[in-house]
Amino acid sequence: MNDVLVHKGMNRKVKRVLGAVGIYCILLVVCAIFLFPCLWLILSSFSSTGSLYDVPGFFPESYSFDAFIKLFTDTSNYNYPKWLLNTLVIAVFNCIFSTMLIIGTAYVISYFQFKSRRGLMKSALVLSMFPSFMGMTVIYILMTQFNFVNNIWGLVLIYSCTAPLGYLVQKGFFDTIPQSIYEAAKIDGATNARIFTTITLPLAKPIIVYTALTSFAWPWSDFILPKLLLIEKDNWTVAVGLMQLGQNEFARFAAGSVFIAIPIVVLYFFLVKYMVNGMTSGAVKG
Amino acid sequence: MKKIKFIFAFSLVSLLALTSCDPGDDPDVPPDPGTITDPSPDDSVFDKFNGELERNVTIKIVENDTAIKMGYLDELLDAFNEEYAEYGITAVDANQGEFADLPNSGPYGYGPDVIYQANDVLMGWVQDKHVTPLPTHLIEAYESDVIPTAAEEAYKAVANNVNYTFGVPLNIQAPLLYYRKDLLPSDWQTNWDDDNNGVPDMVENLVDLYEFSKMYHAEDSTKYGFEFSLNDFYFSSGYLFSYGAYLFGDNNRDDEDIGLHAGDAKLGVQVLRQFAAEMSAACIDDSAKLAISGAMASGKYFASVTTPDVRSVIVDTLATTYQSEKGLSAEEATQLADENVVGVPFPDLPANGDLINPSDEMIECKQMGGINGYAMSSYTKYPNASLAFINFATSYKMVKLREEILQIAPVRSDVAEESDELSQQLFEKISNGSIVLMPSIKAINQVWTPAGSFMGDVAADPNRGANAKYDTLDKIQAALEQLSQDIYDAIHLLD
Repeated sequence: MNDVLVHKGMNRKVKRVLGAVGIYCILLVVCAIFLFPCLWLILSSFSSTGSLYDVPGFFPESYSFDAFIKLFTDTSNYNYPKWLLNTLVIAVFNCIFSTMLIIGTAYVISYFQFKSRRGLMKSALVLSMFPSFMGMTVIYILMTQFNFVNNIWGLVLIYSCTAPLGYLVQKGFFDTIPQSIYEAAKIDGATNARIFTTITLPLAKPIIVYTALTSFAWPWSDFILPKLLLIEKDNWTVAVGLMQLGQNEFARFAAGSVFIAIPIVVLYFFLVKYMVNGMTSGAVKG
Repeated sequence: MKKIKFIFAFSLVSLLALTSCDPGDDPDVPPDPGTITDPSPDDSVFDKFNGELERNVTIKIVENDTAIKMGYLDELLDAFNEEYAEYGITAVDANQGEFADLPNSGPYGYGPDVIYQANDVLMGWVQDKHVTPLPTHLIEAYESDVIPTAAEEAYKAVANNVNYTFGVPLNIQAPLLYYRKDLLPSDWQTNWDDDNNGVPDMVENLVDLYEFSKMYHAEDSTKYGFEFSLNDFYFSSGYLFSYGAYLFGDNNRDDEDIGLHAGDAKLGVQVLRQFAAEMSAACIDDSAKLAISGAMASGKYFASVTTPDVRSVIVDTLATTYQSEKGLSAEEATQLADENVVGVPFPDLPANGDLINPSDEMIECKQMGGINGYAMSSYTKYPNASLAFINFATSYKMVKLREEILQIAPVRSDVAEESDELSQQLFEKISNGSIVLMPSIKAINQVWTPAGSFMGDVAADPNRGANAKYDTLDKIQAALEQLSQDIYDAIHLLD
């Protein structure tokens, strides 16, 4: 009897180990699939020759830092440092404005009960379902009227103004804050502004970080809107500029792509804890 | 009241219909032959060119990337701004890249005032009126009679039966055969220079290049004597033109007449098919074109075909190779690479179109090319200042400087006669029609894809063995006729 039990236990253990090995194998394969293009791009950025066709297989024939050096020194036709600066300015200001607007919108919708609240929520939901490129022609014509074409502040304006439509995750987070805290504060004589600044905002740190990070990341890698609105080369963002590189500039393209990815990767590593908290708190209603 | 509304609506619809039916302004509509005239200086189209320079204005100029990189644009802008400082006119780089999107940015006031591009691009904008007709009587290059007729014709289009000029030609842009001088066999002067003219036979005629390619490949199976992307019709069309083909009738203006099957065009296809058998699979698509710098630097290709602007990339890559292989300094390596990458016009072809059993008689190989030049945006607010810039930039002095800095073949005859041998050869080819200019009508856009696919298919054919599709001249002729028909259908599908 004992032998049978031991044998069954062994079987279960073997099955569990085999299952775990199988899952890890699948995960490794999936990781390799996702990692392969990134690794190939990184290796290509160190290729000593420029052309895509000079990379015969996975590894370039010879390595150098030339592509990275050219990226920052050869600026007569491709001014990467300026593109990087433009991208950074747009991303930072969008991060600030969008975070304020989204958090404000989500808090108001979550906390205050007013007459057109449901109507507003439904409208926002319907509007956010239309793909953004539907409005491209209209946006372009409107921007020409405001003299915002070929102007990076025009992009900041559009990104920031459309950001509050994506308030739902943040509203979900604010919904989880117990009403009793607000009621206690009110009894103590706190105003709405005071409640928001001294109670809500400290509690909402994870969702603020999450909102700031996604607001930063969106314009950092967006291509369609900058391509539409930015005409002069010195106003381009990195995404637009890299697309204009010549056919024989693949190493520089790869170097530019690798370099633009560094800040966002670093940010994600440092803030991933807050991101996960923000996403999960916003997604699950208490 | 209903009756008045009906009359009003009917009148409006009729008016709109009549307006949309007016073909008078469409430069692509073939005019009534025999009634076309040159524009008069008093033509109302030229009213804006009143000779009074706009003062204290900034005009935006689009130049090509190489001119910016090599510093020519700075020289040009500095010289112009100094000359016109008293009027307060400042010319600046439009900073929009060489492929500035005039049709989309121009109408909203964000486009350039003056734009440098190839004739097919600039003239493609004529039909939609994005570029303005120029008063040739006010342009020094035209008045001095230094522009060859073929180059002048490339910038002409007819509207209202008047043959307007829309640009000022500046330089010839044509693909060339580039080869590595240092890879020539050591005995080339005794065994590969039958005519003792100091030029290797294998870059003078395709028959010898074919023989040399076989030898080069036999010595090392990873190397090819001659390789280029046959599917790029800009490169391969010349072989068809050499045997009688043409793109459009009436001097490339009549898109009703497609002539890629005309004459003995099939012989041109046969020549390419035979040579494709000695090339790698890279000749079927863009691979050879994109790999050219690395492949020539490594010696994988002895010779290839590309445009002059790519030469500097080949030289740079070869210099890097020399540095690592020969241990030369960067300066020495660049100088040596510059000497060893040599460009020549396309080699002559056998008159019978057969590389395997060639005739003794050779014919000149034609090639497709373009004329790059300046045009003026229709949306410019400063036509007189822009015209002054065009005049200045196409003057003898600036074209000479451009040729010196950029090493391009000038169109102006007075500069060309002082240029190097290659520039003079290209000028001669433009003048005698051996360089077939890219058509200046919109229909050209319907040519590249079907013609490129066909040539790619021809390049792949030698590897099909018994299933070959183009192994007889009759099959090639039938395929060319079908190609012409396909292009015609694509152009006139919505007529």
